[in-house]
Amino acid sequence: MLTTASDLGKEASRLQNQDTTISSKSEIAVTLKNCSLSFGDVQVLNNVSLDIYKNEFVSILGPSGCGKSTLLRLMLDLLQPNAGGEIIYPSKDLSLGMVFQKPVLMPWLTAIQNIALPLTIGEKKFTKKEAKEKAEGALRLVGLQDFMNHFPHQLSGGMQQRIAIARALAADPTVLLMDEPFGALDEFTREKLNFELLRLWESPETSLSTVVMVTHSIQESVLMSNRVIMMSPRPAGVDDIIPVPLPSPREVGMEELPAFHQTVKELRKRVKHL
Amino acid sequence: MKTKITDALYPVGFAIGFLIIWELAVRLLDIPIYLLPSPTDIVAVIDSSLWSHMLVTLLEALTGFVFANILGLITAIIFVHSKPIEKGVFPLAIALKTTPLVALAPLLVVWMGTGYSSKVVASMLICFFPILVNSVKGLKAIEHEAWELFSTYKGTKAEIFWKLRLPTSLPYVFSALKISTSLAIVGAIVGEFVGANKGLGYVVLVSSYHMDTPVMFSAIIASALCGLVLFWGISQLERKIIFWQRTDDL
Repeated sequence: MLTTASDLGKEASRLQNQDTTISSKSEIAVTLKNCSLSFGDVQVLNNVSLDIYKNEFVSILGPSGCGKSTLLRLMLDLLQPNAGGEIIYPSKDLSLGMVFQKPVLMPWLTAIQNIALPLTIGEKKFTKKEAKEKAEGALRLVGLQDFMNHFPHQLSGGMQQRIAIARALAADPTVLLMDEPFGALDEFTREKLNFELLRLWESPETSLSTVVMVTHSIQESVLMSNRVIMMSPRPAGVDDIIPVPLPSPREVGMEELPAFHQTVKELRKRVKHL
Repeated sequence: MKTKITDALYPVGFAIGFLIIWELAVRLLDIPIYLLPSPTDIVAVIDSSLWSHMLVTLLEALTGFVFANILGLITAIIFVHSKPIEKGVFPLAIALKTTPLVALAPLLVVWMGTGYSSKVVASMLICFFPILVNSVKGLKAIEHEAWELFSTYKGTKAEIFWKLRLPTSLPYVFSALKISTSLAIVGAIVGEFVGANKGLGYVVLVSSYHMDTPVMFSAIIASALCGLVLFWGISQLERKIIFWQRTDDL
């Protein structure tokens, strides 16, 4: 029932066996079917097929410039796949959130106004008061309620990225797409925000069920996700999908577990092979 | 705060020193007044008529400045939303920009007479191009990710304009405004050179006929002052409006 990178074909049966154990437990959040994408003559994505499930944290790992971000843009409907490709969200109450590598905050808006921005544009599902209340709630989730009226230039890089996460959460997304969200942060902030994001994903206070995170850090992908999707270089296809056998919830210190090292090693091997 | 005051004292100190050297040089070397009047000679000729001429020039420049900027910004907005118009009109705007204003000014006086309007239009012509170019640049300067953010949440074209494009363009717009402040004065004075009976350009021209160098100097200094006043005003406005960007010039 699961379609993975069929063009590469190798180890397909092994993968399928691993993935059915997950799929039998969960409903599908999003399906990508035969998605290829070319910009003019340049082929960026080559026949990507992928299922991502509800209550799943998935990382997309691959060499830089391989089209990981492009894959996210397809899922966001900012780009359309070539003819024959399809992206299906089966859920009716679907809401997408997006976090970029840069915070992309409006410098002329305060923290709270930035978070409320998505709620006040487009379909405008909320009144001004509701938007403000929801934004305040999201700000509390990332622990920055004391910085409500600060402007982005008054906040550190880590705080700015937390505001960006709060902005994505404010609209109650069920699926959160993240494009190297911690790539521009220092090691300390990065580690802190890794776990903060995991807590938010696990928390019953958020509507969040699926997180898809693009990253180029092997450690980060193993530490955070249930499955790691390994992309091949351009034109990118799914090279392999590796399940992470770490217990959940993920805790600080799990980097010491043998299973962590095992998975990191496994992924490293694949990077070399690429 | 303390450093701010001392910072301001440096240029003031140097200016006073310069004026003293100027005054002494003129007196000691016995330079004739029609060549170089001393600062005290210049101060002596300043009267209320200079202020009224200065006010005329300032008003002409300011009106041209305001109209040019409104028109430039609107044109830029149209350009950003319509590629064909941008492609068709931009070359014409460049052609207008490369035509020397000094060559156009007599024509303006022929068309509009020696009054207020010919100077306003001269000012407008010279201010128009910087605001147009910078506004187009600024309106296009939005981050791609910011555009994606608005698109993800189904922001309309109008929302993208008001909540993203326009605020993003403000720093560019203000740098054009600052460039235009001095240009606006140039436009007004060039207009006055060609045909006028008031304004600082008129004073400079007439005093040159009479070899009345002290009056000429007073008018030149007054015109510099006009530019400074406009520039300072725009800078203050910029600090208030674009609070998220600290520019430290003046």
